[in-house]
Amino acid sequence: MFGFLFKKLQFWQLLNQRNSGKQNGNWQKSSQTSLSRDLKENLKVLKSILGTSNDIVIREFSFGYDEKINASIIFVDGLTDRMTINESIIKPLMYDTHLFDSRELLTTNNIDIIQKSMLSVGDVKIVTSLDDVIDGCLSGDTVLLINGSDQALVISSRGWESRGIQEPKTEAVVRGPREGFTETLRSNTSLLRRKIRNPDFILENMQLGQRTKTDICIAYLKGVVNPKLVEEVKYRLKKINTDAILESGYIEQFIEDAPFSPFATIANSEKPDVIAGKLLEGRVAILVDGTPMVLTVPMVFIESFQTSEDYYSRPFYTSILRTLRFISFFITILAPGVYVALTTFHQEFIPTPLLITMAAAREGTPFPAVVEAIVMGIVYEILREAGIRLPRPVGSAISIVGALVIGEAAVSAGLIGAPVVIVVALTAISSFVVPAQSDTAALGRVIITISAGALGAFGIIIILLAGLIHLCTLRSFGTPYFSPLAPLSFRDLKDVFIRLPIWAMFTRPRTIGWHDPQRQEFRQIPAPPQDSEKVEQPQGEPENNSNMKSQTGVQGLKRPRKIGNKDT
Amino acid sequence: MMKVGRFFIKLLILLMVLLSIAGCWNRRELDNLAIVSGLAIDKAEESEKIQLTAQILKPGNLSIAAAGGAGDGGRAERPYWNLTETGNTVFETIRALTHKSNRRLFLPHNEIVIFSEDIAKEGIQKYMDFIIRDHELRRLIYVLVSKGKASEILESKTELEQIPAISISQLIEVRDATSESSAVNLQEFMNRLMSKTTAPIASLIEVVGKEKTALLMGTAVFKKDKLAGFLGREETRGLQWVIGEVKSGIIVVDCPNGKGKASLEIIRANSKITPEIKDDTLHIKVEINEEGNLGEEMCSVDLSKPEVWMSIERRKAVVIRKEVMAALKKAQEWNTDIFGFGDAVHRKYPKLWKYIESQWDDFFPSLEVTVIVKAKLRRSGMITKPAKPE
Repeated sequence: MFGFLFKKLQFWQLLNQRNSGKQNGNWQKSSQTSLSRDLKENLKVLKSILGTSNDIVIREFSFGYDEKINASIIFVDGLTDRMTINESIIKPLMYDTHLFDSRELLTTNNIDIIQKSMLSVGDVKIVTSLDDVIDGCLSGDTVLLINGSDQALVISSRGWESRGIQEPKTEAVVRGPREGFTETLRSNTSLLRRKIRNPDFILENMQLGQRTKTDICIAYLKGVVNPKLVEEVKYRLKKINTDAILESGYIEQFIEDAPFSPFATIANSEKPDVIAGKLLEGRVAILVDGTPMVLTVPMVFIESFQTSEDYYSRPFYTSILRTLRFISFFITILAPGVYVALTTFHQEFIPTPLLITMAAAREGTPFPAVVEAIVMGIVYEILREAGIRLPRPVGSAISIVGALVIGEAAVSAGLIGAPVVIVVALTAISSFVVPAQSDTAALGRVIITISAGALGAFGIIIILLAGLIHLCTLRSFGTPYFSPLAPLSFRDLKDVFIRLPIWAMFTRPRTIGWHDPQRQEFRQIPAPPQDSEKVEQPQGEPENNSNMKSQTGVQGLKRPRKIGNKDT
Repeated sequence: MMKVGRFFIKLLILLMVLLSIAGCWNRRELDNLAIVSGLAIDKAEESEKIQLTAQILKPGNLSIAAAGGAGDGGRAERPYWNLTETGNTVFETIRALTHKSNRRLFLPHNEIVIFSEDIAKEGIQKYMDFIIRDHELRRLIYVLVSKGKASEILESKTELEQIPAISISQLIEVRDATSESSAVNLQEFMNRLMSKTTAPIASLIEVVGKEKTALLMGTAVFKKDKLAGFLGREETRGLQWVIGEVKSGIIVVDCPNGKGKASLEIIRANSKITPEIKDDTLHIKVEINEEGNLGEEMCSVDLSKPEVWMSIERRKAVVIRKEVMAALKKAQEWNTDIFGFGDAVHRKYPKLWKYIESQWDDFFPSLEVTVIVKAKLRRSGMITKPAKPE
């Protein structure tokens, strides 16, 4: 049966390949051609390509001495900054050309003069092919075509309505920066650049999606990152051949290592400080225009249990929180399964008073425990989904229906036992503690509940072991997914179940940042100044700036005694 | 493509094998269980048959403070159901109970097993077999012997707990406060039963009064597996002193000035049994170290005087010694080695033991036992001198 399905899929793929060739035909043809010297000819071609859309503005005008030079600018209304076009492109051309020697302007290479001396815009490029003209035009630049020249100027004039930088709703923090990425690629890269002021911080551009031409940006920290990892990311990105990239999730699904695994092998975040921290550990970030979700590779499983705030707060409570997150994760995947296993197979495990209470609650309920657990699990998922999709004003309806009707009424009507409601509620709350794995947890929970209903604790163990084996086999861009636990790296346990103080985290994670393992200098534990140190302090200044590597510590590395020297 | 298909087929086969080899494969819903909390075994009227009573919980009738929904109607009814059946074997009878019970009996939460006096006299090894062999019954259940019918114990009236069986098992657990009754779980009973010399013991329970209150009376002593006799409360503590099971308790002594009594609380105690061979005869030396506090004095002696203090210590040692000797006397009378002297000799003189072992029954009644009690008084509570007008 599977063989048949796969054959069918293959056939589809072949068919699509043939069709796509046909469909893309007229587009590809035009892109090969270069501009002609005749402005009218050029405009005609451009109109035929861009023509009918009403947001394309083609402004024809003439300038120069006696207005002898015919020219035209093309831009997309809404994507461009009108002020720039009016003040910095049209105005200098129409008013200030009189200042130039007319004969010089009329020569064939006048386009150079215009680029170099007449336009007061930061970024101006000369292009020759029609493809580049259209590309520039659609990405918000203004194209200047001049009669008699087979070159065109692509003048940067991007400016569109965009959401301001806001606090991300998905990753709220109590302590730490509140800014989040937006939908604009440029502003996102600027947020990162502001965090990492370092020439080694590299941003590489790319365009993906044959039809959408979405800008993609690969960010990494040269010297820290493994160059092979960058190569691999680029290779996988280049292999993507699709028509549209609307969100970073598209890319994630194209380049991930284990597409059939329930575990995500590519991490994402909305927060610049999180991404900066990961870049500094030696990861590569993939920014996609049009989404605030930035991807980072490679991902390890433990990453899901770390939050940016862990590093900003002091280590003691943070370490408790870490443990709590692991416990919550286990609760959220195991609680219904354990409940089912205990009540239907291993009643002898339950302490007698608890058993009596549970038995009293189960008295007279019509369904088996496993059915109860699964039904309540489904009900919870429905409530959650409805809560997300509901229009805000009717949001309170959900809580009333959820709490009163399903929780209270179902129990008092004797349809389900009270313990299962408690179990499902506990599960639901716990799943929000580790948001990065909540999808996986929901899936695992269902599987474990069913197998617990069939085999009891034996079933739970089977699924857990299978899950563990699977986790250990996974790799994300060459990095073992379960590291630093498997393969075990004692050094990296500093940031797993507990978090050591920042000054004690000397090294980057071994499996990711091995290219430049040392993050900071040793012996930075803060202490009251000793007499000998007080004298030496001023002498330590000059070497501070030269040692860039140790300054680029992850997650706000603090060097207590030298912090004042940063600006010198 | 084919590889993937084959992989899935393999997976399917593996899963099916996995499902079929799973051992304990019986799922039972909580509301299909008859949770048994206590078992009582009596002699049936027909000879060679037993009458078995199981105490089954009725969760619906248990008033759980917060449940509310269970309703007050249930409270009038008893939250348990004593189910009785007669049969030839224990297992058969337990299964036969399902003729009356619509749910199958669930034994892991059983807390006590009670044998009646008359069945204990005939020997309980044959009934013990199922209780030890069956996987559902725990090794932690308490073994008791009842004076009178065992099933009546399960009918006894309880106030703080709703279930008699659970009440009795808690009764046994609080015996630490006095150490005047034995707490013997199945494992210990089994160990003693399997020992060649050490005699099994069990808690002794009785229902008294019109109110039908169950109370612990002391210890039932077995010779092999047959009931030999009962130890009273003081004798029981005498036994506990020797086997090192005294946890706490009150020792009442006369005041040094002869007027009134004083109660001394036992804080900790331990014992050591040392067999010795003196002049070709076997002696047993029992050393008991006890520490306690003065809890109460109904006389007016000044405890700040060391001689008074030591006098109380001496009096305490005498009481302890008396208790031990009383237990020893009974044990030697019935020829039951409840203290485990035989095992102590075995450990110390393994070569000699080979000759003694078969004749231990002849040795034990006339065995010379030296009891050395070291009783210490540690503190006298919040006051040293009694509060009284000088």
